[in-house]
Amino acid sequence: MGITNIPMLNADIVTGISLMLAFIAFGISLGFKTILIAHITFNIPYVILSVMPKLKQTSKITYEAAMDLGASPIYAFFKVVFPDILPGILSGFLLAFTMSLDDFIITHFTRGAGINTLSTLIYSQVRRGIQPSMYALSTIIFLTVLVLLLITNFKPPKKKVIPGMAPAGAGAAGLAGSPSGNPDWEDPNKKFQKIQRGAMTIAAVVIVAVVGLVTIKNYSITHSDELYVYNWGEYIDEEVVSMFEEETGIKVTYDMFETNEEMYPIIEAGAVRYDVVCPSDYMIQKMVENDMLAEINFENVPNISQINPVYMEMSKAFDPQNLYSVPYCWGTVGILYNSQRLEELGVEPPDSWADLWDPALSGEILMQDSVRDAFMVALKKLGYSMNTTNRDELEAAKQLLIDQKPLVQAYVIDQVRDKMLGGEAAVGVIYSGEMLYLQEEAEALELDFDLEYVLPKEGTNLWLDSWVIPQNAQNKENAEKWINFLCRPDIALRNFEYITYPTPNQGAFELLDEETQENKAVFPDLDTLDNSEVFLYLGDEEDAVYNALWKEVKSK
Amino acid sequence: MNQPLIDLQHISKSFDGTMVLDDLSLTVKENSFVTLLGPSGCGKTTTLRIIGGFESPDTGKVIFDGQDITNLPPNKRQLNTVFQKYALFTHMTIAENIAFGLKIKNKTKSYIDDKIKYALKLVNLDGYGNRSVDSLSGGQQQRIAIARAIVNEPRLLLLDEPLGALDLKLRQDMQYELIRLKNELGITFVYVTHDQEEALTMSDTIVVMNQGYIQQMGTPESIYNEPENAFVADFIGDSNIVPGIMLHDKLVEIFGAKFECVDKGFGINKPVDVVIRPEDIDLVEPGQGTLSGVVTHLIFKGVHYEMEVTTPDGFEWLVHSTDLFPVGKKVDIHVDPFDIQIMNKPASEDEEAIGVNE
Repeated sequence: MGITNIPMLNADIVTGISLMLAFIAFGISLGFKTILIAHITFNIPYVILSVMPKLKQTSKITYEAAMDLGASPIYAFFKVVFPDILPGILSGFLLAFTMSLDDFIITHFTRGAGINTLSTLIYSQVRRGIQPSMYALSTIIFLTVLVLLLITNFKPPKKKVIPGMAPAGAGAAGLAGSPSGNPDWEDPNKKFQKIQRGAMTIAAVVIVAVVGLVTIKNYSITHSDELYVYNWGEYIDEEVVSMFEEETGIKVTYDMFETNEEMYPIIEAGAVRYDVVCPSDYMIQKMVENDMLAEINFENVPNISQINPVYMEMSKAFDPQNLYSVPYCWGTVGILYNSQRLEELGVEPPDSWADLWDPALSGEILMQDSVRDAFMVALKKLGYSMNTTNRDELEAAKQLLIDQKPLVQAYVIDQVRDKMLGGEAAVGVIYSGEMLYLQEEAEALELDFDLEYVLPKEGTNLWLDSWVIPQNAQNKENAEKWINFLCRPDIALRNFEYITYPTPNQGAFELLDEETQENKAVFPDLDTLDNSEVFLYLGDEEDAVYNALWKEVKSK
Repeated sequence: MNQPLIDLQHISKSFDGTMVLDDLSLTVKENSFVTLLGPSGCGKTTTLRIIGGFESPDTGKVIFDGQDITNLPPNKRQLNTVFQKYALFTHMTIAENIAFGLKIKNKTKSYIDDKIKYALKLVNLDGYGNRSVDSLSGGQQQRIAIARAIVNEPRLLLLDEPLGALDLKLRQDMQYELIRLKNELGITFVYVTHDQEEALTMSDTIVVMNQGYIQQMGTPESIYNEPENAFVADFIGDSNIVPGIMLHDKLVEIFGAKFECVDKGFGINKPVDVVIRPEDIDLVEPGQGTLSGVVTHLIFKGVHYEMEVTTPDGFEWLVHSTDLFPVGKKVDIHVDPFDIQIMNKPASEDEEAIGVNE
């Protein structure tokens, strides 16, 4: 008995991770059934706790009485014991249902590709904007619960003492004479309980149905031909996925990650077998080094010809023979500035990293709050490689960052664009992919200032996100079809228009209008990138050195 | 009539190593009202549960109408049980409760409806069919439990202290009710109770049990008037059990006083136990009785006075009398010869439990 309480006493995170490790250890690939097993596991104690007391209350005698009247044990159980413990079962069900609906952590760790419960679905939507259907769903659930609560808390009319109601003594008197009172009299409390029970059942059915529909919508029929895609959030036009499904008949299961570091262990553990993944440069290098990627059969990817060879050349930094990756999006890191603000401050528009050390910009600078990006700025200013492991160079960069600190308004990531749109700062370090969005947004908001982007002349971080196929992919050919599909110019164009990050697809580039083609913020001249580099994976030891130095900077 | 309906043969049963029934044999004749009587834990309920099929004996056989039903499950036995706590199904109406057994037997609806009506009439609860169990009083619930059992037309009805939870007045009413039912239906009743008055009122045959053994079996009169051992004497009604010496046939000496009696065959100068019922003791003026003493205690009981008379040897005699003798009054004790019951002394405690089964 005690053992069943373990999931209740354990922290969710412990249960979740333990279960995930157990599934992996037993070679069970994560999917719907692992969520099911996990939810059953952590709900068992709650159901036991609500059914057990009822079962103990139910005297064995009624069961025996049923047997005595000729009932078989099974008949006796369902006709006599079951109705008695039904309230316990119902409350156990509701409890388990709520816990299950509510659970995020355990589900998060035990779910497989494309399987979402309501909570993980909502969570993933929060990141990219909640769909109206979520509002509708929340409204239905809330209203159902509200009505249910109103009904259960509404007190039944007070029980009146009915003259005919025979107490024990009168019952004896009734022996001799006729029974007193109206025999057909029914307890109003009973009637009310019936209504309550009905309402509870209906509410349960409504919630189950609604949630079920949502789940079914997300977890439709299994296709024989499948593809498991693992991509960044907001990194594809969803239309493209449907188009791919329609054209190929392959059912795509699409999952998203937030950071390379979140994606890596999932692929490494092999618990969820994704067929095609879109990591960044240095992470691809790490995966190649750890032998986690499969060579792409380029015979199946004829559209690779659409990719500008320049980017294939760039890829060689992390994929030296172009065996494992196909570029998807790329970009740079540069300086975004508010020209009006700079004018007010009497500062020339920046054109180098060194300008971020101008004392006139005190309190007007936004830096990236991530170790490699921050050090990149300092190292590039000093003329060093941003992948350096030279301690002296790193020490110098650290000192530079410490010197800069009094001038910095904040170290941020996503807020750069919001703060710049809000006119809160004059300059900020930003990824070029944000530029088109920012410019469109600035236009829409009718701002009274211009936001400009510049690539610092010392060179910068050139980043590349590419499609790769993990070693353990189960649908490698489908993955290649997927990559080929995304390399088609019209598809790449669609994606570019949605993501607004520069595309390495020459075919798509040629389809763009001239204005966009010549937007240097989005498509900088490649020769200006001479001093730029791609982030490389430096190994855990060097990562630790960087992190330690970054900590020093932040804590000064 | 008078064919053995139930024949228990050498039944033994123990729970967790504790012997509850030890080689018990019992025959119940058709159409009789047999009561198993004894204190808590004497094995009477276990005996009933073995007949009902809820327990199986460790050894021995249960013969029902000539058939061995020892291993037959309860739902296959031609008998029904009325449980101590009624065991009505609270989520069903009264009618559904009564119909439970009939539905299992696939009877037609009209048959079931007729039976429900008949059974409700029989237990004087006409028209209560649609009520819920909770709306009935204890006595009414008990009558429904009986109705539910008898609609199945069992050959044998087992009743496990069915009146135990009722108050005195209701209990007495229900006793008459049960006797009436038994006479009307012609069903054999096996009744379990620890209430000796209930047993005496209702039964044809009383089986007194203690510690898993049958102490005495017989008609209510013989059990009351001629208890075979001290246990039975003490358990059935109040008794004065005193040590005595059987001087010879028809003469017993108690505390030095000689009493005439009607018992014979105990030998000469044999130590015995003497049982005298408190209502059989006559208190008379000093000098007119056999043994003298002083009234030391007096309680008014309604029908009679209950008094304690202490004799010089220190024994406190329990006396029931309609005549009042105040505390402190010197009195003499007189007992008619036929009111004195002589019993052999048990040789050991174990023998006391087994009883003297000559």
